[in-house]
Amino acid sequence: MHNIFIIAKREYLERVRTRSFLTMTLFIPLLMFGVTAVPTMLANRKSNETKHMVVVTVDRGTGEMIRSRIEQRQEAEKSADKTEIKLGGKKELPPANFSVEVSTNTSEAERAALKEKVKTKQLDAFLWATPDAIKAGKLDFVSNDVSSFIENGVLNETVNEALHRSALKSRGLKDDEIESSLQSVEIAPQSPQGKGAPDPRTMFYATLGMVMVMYVTVLLYGVNVMRSILEEKTSRIMEVMLSTASAKDMMAGKILGVGAVGLTQVGIWALTAGIFSSGALVATAGIIKGVLSIKLLLYFGVFFLLGYVLYSTLCAAVGSMVNSEQEAQQMQILVMMPLILSVIFIVNIFQHPSSPIAIFGSLFPFTAPLVMFARIALQSAPWQQIWISIAIMVATIYGMVVLCGRIYRVGILMYGKKPNLPEIVKWIKYA
Amino acid sequence: MQTIELTKVRKSYDQFVAVNDLSFSIEQGGVFGLLGPNGAGKTSTIRMMIGITAPDSGQINLFGKPFERKSLNKVGYLPEERGLYKKMKIIDQLVFLGELHGMTAGAAKQKAVEWCKRLEIDAWLQKKVEELSKGMQQKIQFIAALLHDPDFIIMDEPFFGLDPVNATLLKDVMLDLKKQGKTILFSTHRMDQVEKLCDSICLINKGNAVLQGDLKTIKAGYGKSNVQIEYEGNGDFLDKNPLVSAYNNYGNYVEVRLAPGADAQQLLHMVAEKSRINKFELMEPSLEEIFINTVGKANA
Repeated sequence: MHNIFIIAKREYLERVRTRSFLTMTLFIPLLMFGVTAVPTMLANRKSNETKHMVVVTVDRGTGEMIRSRIEQRQEAEKSADKTEIKLGGKKELPPANFSVEVSTNTSEAERAALKEKVKTKQLDAFLWATPDAIKAGKLDFVSNDVSSFIENGVLNETVNEALHRSALKSRGLKDDEIESSLQSVEIAPQSPQGKGAPDPRTMFYATLGMVMVMYVTVLLYGVNVMRSILEEKTSRIMEVMLSTASAKDMMAGKILGVGAVGLTQVGIWALTAGIFSSGALVATAGIIKGVLSIKLLLYFGVFFLLGYVLYSTLCAAVGSMVNSEQEAQQMQILVMMPLILSVIFIVNIFQHPSSPIAIFGSLFPFTAPLVMFARIALQSAPWQQIWISIAIMVATIYGMVVLCGRIYRVGILMYGKKPNLPEIVKWIKYA
Repeated sequence: MQTIELTKVRKSYDQFVAVNDLSFSIEQGGVFGLLGPNGAGKTSTIRMMIGITAPDSGQINLFGKPFERKSLNKVGYLPEERGLYKKMKIIDQLVFLGELHGMTAGAAKQKAVEWCKRLEIDAWLQKKVEELSKGMQQKIQFIAALLHDPDFIIMDEPFFGLDPVNATLLKDVMLDLKKQGKTILFSTHRMDQVEKLCDSICLINKGNAVLQGDLKTIKAGYGKSNVQIEYEGNGDFLDKNPLVSAYNNYGNYVEVRLAPGADAQQLLHMVAEKSRINKFELMEPSLEEIFINTVGKANA
C-alpha cells in the first residue's frame, strides 16, 4: 500500500509539473470557449451596423408591407434581452439592421442599375419582388454578403409573412383579421418531470459537452498510462523498481497517479467553467444553469472513474506488451475502439435514448461509461439499469485487473518481438 | 547466518528449463560470484531471489527466513539492464527509489547527497538524467542500489560498460562494504573482473550448477599447472611441444597450460635456448580458464 502511494505520488508530481499539462489545461477551455462563444459574439457585433437595401415591387403597398414587417421585426429584436442567447434558436440571432427603401421601377434597366450599385457597394442589397417572381416562388436577393445565412434566414421568414399579409389584405381582410389568422405558435418541449425540467435542447448540448470531456479525458489519460509504462520498460528502470515494489503495486500506483492528474485537470476545467458562467460572459452560461445538478455531476464522477480505471488497466497491459511507440499506436486503436464507437453512436443514442442499442450500449461495460452517462443525463435510464450497469462495470474491472495484472507482470520483463495471442494466454497462465 | 539459501530451486518457461534444481548459499559477509555464460540462468536465478518471479519448485530463504517481500528493504539490486527516469532530476529520482525501499524522504535525501559526494557527482544533483553521461548514470544507478544501506547487495554485471577509473572506484566501494560485513553477490560472465573479489563461487551452465564452492579450494584442486612466461625473441617453442597442452599467446607474453605430468623446469630450459626470458612463473589457473574448461567440457 505504501509503495502504491509513493509510485502514484511520483507519477502525479512529475506529470503536473510538465509543460504539456499546463498547455492542455489552458488549451482545452480556450478551444471550447472559441468554439462556443466567439461565433456568437461575432454575430452579436454585426447587428450594430446598418445595411441599406431596396425592395422592388410593382405596387407600393406590397413593398411597404415588406418594409414595415422588417422594421417591426428589428424593433422586436432590439427590445429582446440581447445578453441571453440560447444556442440553436435562429430566431434569437438578430439580423443586421436594415434600412429599407421601396421602389416600384421594375424595368430591366433599373435591375441592372441596382446590381451595379451593389457591386460598387453604394447599396448593400436589393430584393426583386415582382409578381412574376412571387408567382414563380423565388425572389432574387442580390447582395455581396450572400453567405450571411442568418440575414437570409430571418429575411425569408419576414418577407414570406409580409407577402401573406399583403395577399390577405388584397382579398379584403381587415388588419385584426389578418393578425388573428396569421397568429403563430411556439412548440415548447417539456419533460414529464414538469416545468422545472431543463429545456431539451440545452440538455442536449450540456450532455454532449460532458460526454466529450469524459471521452477526451479517458482516452488521453488511458494513453498516458500506456506510454509511461512503455517508457519505464524501454528505459529499463522497471527492473530497479521491481526489486522492491511488486508488479501489482507498480500498476496500481501508475493508474492512480495518472488518474489523479486527470481529475485535477477536469477539476480545473470545471472550476473555470463555473467562474466564467457566474460572470455570465460566455454563451455556456445558459447551458450550465439548471442542467448541472449535483446528482448529475456525481454520476459524471462515477462513470468517469469507472471508465478511466477500466481503460487504463487495459492500456497498462498493452503498454507492458509492446516495445515501441509504433507498436503501441497500433494496439491503442484496438483497445480504444469501443470508446470511439460510443462517441460515433452518441448522437443516435441522444435521439433514441431508450432504443435497444442504447440499452445494450449502456450495459456493455466498455461502452457503458459514455452511453449510460448520456442516458442518465437525458433522464431515460431507469435506476435498475444504472445499478446493473455499474455492477457489470465493477465486475469487469475486477476481472480486467486480475487478467491485465498477469499480462503486465510478465510483459514488463519481456523484450523483443510483440507477443501474439497464444503467448499472451500463456503469460496469463504463468504462476 | 546464511544471508541467502537456495534449495533445489527450479524455474522453467514452457519446455525451456532456465534454472534446474539449483542449490547454493551465501554466508553473511561473504562475497559470492554467480558465474556462467550468457543465457546460463543467472538473471533468472536473481529474479527469483528477490521475488520478481516465483520458483516452480524449491525453497528460497532470505536472511534465514522463507522469502517475504518486506525483507527486500534490506536488499540492494543493480540489474544488468540499467535504467532511470530520463526526465527526472537526480535527487528526486534517488529519493523516490529510497522511499520505495522504506526510507523517509528526508533520510533518503541526506544519504543521496552523501553518496553523490563520495562518488564525486554531487554537482549534478539538480540535473536531469538525460543531461548526464553514461558513466555518471552508472554511478547514479549504483547509488540507487546502495542508498538504503542494504545488508545484501546483488550486482548483475556490475562492471559492464565502466571505464577503468569508475571500475576501480566501484571496486573500492565494494571492498569497503565487505569490510562492513555486507553480503555481496556478483553475477557476471567476465571472470577476470570478479576473481580477486570473490570468496566463493557457483558456476552455472544451462541452468545447472557445474562447479561451486570456496574459490581458493577450487583453484588449489587444479594445482599449479600453469606457467606465465614473458620473453623476447622467438615463440616457436610453443608449437608441437609435448609439454604444452594449451596456450594463449599475447606476442611477448604467454600463458601456458602444462600437459599432464609435464615438468615446468624442462619447459624453462627449452625456452631459454631460443629466447630471452624476463619472467617465468608457476601459477594456479585463472577463474576464466577453469570456467572455459568446465563449461567447454559440459557443452561437449
